[in-house]
Amino acid sequence: MLAKGLKHLCTAAVLAAAMTGVAHAQNVIKIGAINPYSGPLALYGDELARGYQLAVDERNASGGVLGRKIEIVRGDAGNPQQGIAAVDQLVTRDKVDAFIGTYISAVSNAASDTAQRYNKLYWDTNAVAAELTERGLPNFIRVGPNAQNFADMSVRAVVEMIAPALKKQPKDLVVWLEHEDSIYGKSIADIQKKLLEQKGVKVAGEGSHNFKAADLTDAILRAKRTNPDVWLQTGYVPDDNLLLKTAREQGFKPPVIELVGTGDTQETLDAVGGDYLEGVFVVSYPRPDISEKYGPGAAAFLAAYRKAYNRDPIAPQSLTAYTGMKILLEVIDAAGSTDVAKVRAAAAKMDKPLHSYPSGFGVKFDDKFQNTRAPFTVIQWQGGKQVTVFPDEARASGASLKNTPRK
Amino acid sequence: MDALLHVLVIGVLLGGIYGLVALGLNLIFGVIRIVNFAHGELVMLGMYGAYLAYSLLGLDAYVSILVVVPALFVVGLVVYRLVLQPLHGESSMQIFATFALVIIFQNVVLAVTRGEGYSVPSRIAGHTLELGDVRVTVSRLAILAAVTLAAVGLHLFLQRTMVGKSIRAVTQDRQAARLMGINVERTFMITFGVGSALAGLAGVLLAPIYTLSPGIGGNFILAAFAVVVLGGLGSVAGAYAGGMIVGIVEAFAGYYIDPELKQAIWFLIFLAVLIVRPSGLFGQPGAEEIGFREQE
Repeated sequence: MLAKGLKHLCTAAVLAAAMTGVAHAQNVIKIGAINPYSGPLALYGDELARGYQLAVDERNASGGVLGRKIEIVRGDAGNPQQGIAAVDQLVTRDKVDAFIGTYISAVSNAASDTAQRYNKLYWDTNAVAAELTERGLPNFIRVGPNAQNFADMSVRAVVEMIAPALKKQPKDLVVWLEHEDSIYGKSIADIQKKLLEQKGVKVAGEGSHNFKAADLTDAILRAKRTNPDVWLQTGYVPDDNLLLKTAREQGFKPPVIELVGTGDTQETLDAVGGDYLEGVFVVSYPRPDISEKYGPGAAAFLAAYRKAYNRDPIAPQSLTAYTGMKILLEVIDAAGSTDVAKVRAAAAKMDKPLHSYPSGFGVKFDDKFQNTRAPFTVIQWQGGKQVTVFPDEARASGASLKNTPRK
Repeated sequence: MDALLHVLVIGVLLGGIYGLVALGLNLIFGVIRIVNFAHGELVMLGMYGAYLAYSLLGLDAYVSILVVVPALFVVGLVVYRLVLQPLHGESSMQIFATFALVIIFQNVVLAVTRGEGYSVPSRIAGHTLELGDVRVTVSRLAILAAVTLAAVGLHLFLQRTMVGKSIRAVTQDRQAARLMGINVERTFMITFGVGSALAGLAGVLLAPIYTLSPGIGGNFILAAFAVVVLGGLGSVAGAYAGGMIVGIVEAFAGYYIDPELKQAIWFLIFLAVLIVRPSGLFGQPGAEEIGFREQE
């Protein structure tokens, strides 16, 4: 008798446990965040995840979405294979409702493809490879900028900011285009060349190099002999640093140095030193120092970041990630669910002007679900600090150009 | 004409870098007959050693040689004793083991640094000397000087000292050397230690030039292997001359043809040499087979 009672009790307990489990799952929207959290890029994967977490915390504090709390589950992926495995695992084991990412474009490509097989949304905030949205994958939406935007913004800066600062017309400017030799650097340089020539700017030459090269003196000497007004380089951190050091050593003094994508972190400051960096422009993700008018909420983001992590952001990407997550949660709210078709429909309807969000973004998706209102910004190194200087309206009050043309 | 001279100087300086990395690799390859894939990682450890010496002790990169080079010698001894010696006689296993070392060293450094790129400042490294239009930095000149001194020193060490003689004896014929009373295992261990110390020296001298990352050893190792085969297995002069050839070819190809193609061009030369002279430019004909012949 007692044994039977115990058995019933156990059954009841198990049932109860199972039911709370179900109830718990229904109360939470789980979002899988695909990024490198180990390996050489872990620093940046973590940085994106911090941005996501801040947006989620903020939203959870005001009641969550659709009456449910949001929970982030990390999926560690440093290469495409790991991206596929992470998506498989997050769907089958963690039962996530949607995905967000990605620091690495190649990972985004593989992971979003896999997510599509499970019919789960893949919301990309940071991957830049242009072809990601060209695939027409129904579950893929990119709310952040793409590589084309790097080229657009770097050329806009040359024409609208640098030419006047050098007191020249665009047609009197000579630009040297340097880029690392993978598809990333090459595709951006191709667009830069086309856009510059459309504006009448003379492209004196194009140099490509391997970002792991042991020596880049040849690249500097080739650029130096054309005597350019602007030396424009698209690459990664190691080649940025080596090129800048070599330029300094070889006495290459172009009036303007503009870097694209990288070169705006402590790593470059340590390698090159504040003196030589003074006045160098970098096209990159919007930073929290942008004016409040340009990016409403950027200052609040910085304050929340400092409070949560006890330091300043390691890289600017966290602000873009934070903004991207914020927009995702709004879209899920509007769609009433994380269902791919419903989210897509809700996203397509969104129409927010530029400067609606902390990173300065607006939202308007094109027919390939690329956000057309997600521009990069340009910083200038000033006294060892990164100061946003372009577009003009992003400039904090009192900020002005320094060391342009370079002495 | 100026440009020609300038590019030649760049090539010689770059050749110094390749030669320095190849020197230790060639010693290990020539004597122990181990293809040490982890050599680049030993260079990387040397670079991080310079960083540690700077950040903990405040030492200038060039002063840290005094600490880092002996430390890498010890690392070499330990690695040989614990990993490679137990696999003695199984050369393919030894190669796999050096691959494992690549992964272990890279990941340990990665775990400690989280992949953040470090720089090692040096008060003297950034200075440039101007010779007309040609500009040369102290950091690269130091490497050229170091590789020259190290090559001469290594040559004298191998020719004049008892340990050096035993290393040469072991290289020529392990069995006969053992019969003459030479402790072959100890000789191998010392050789690996010296090779690692040379990698450490390369690492320290390269540290002020590059941004440190756990995978940076891989940037030099491909060229270093080419240098070793080009110059001749086990030949000190070969490593030196091979480094110069690769460096000069790369500089000329990079400046006059296309930086994108420079590696392809020296690999073509490398292949041509391999076809015409399989033992390399300075290697003894047949030297590339000694190690394998003996293990039959």
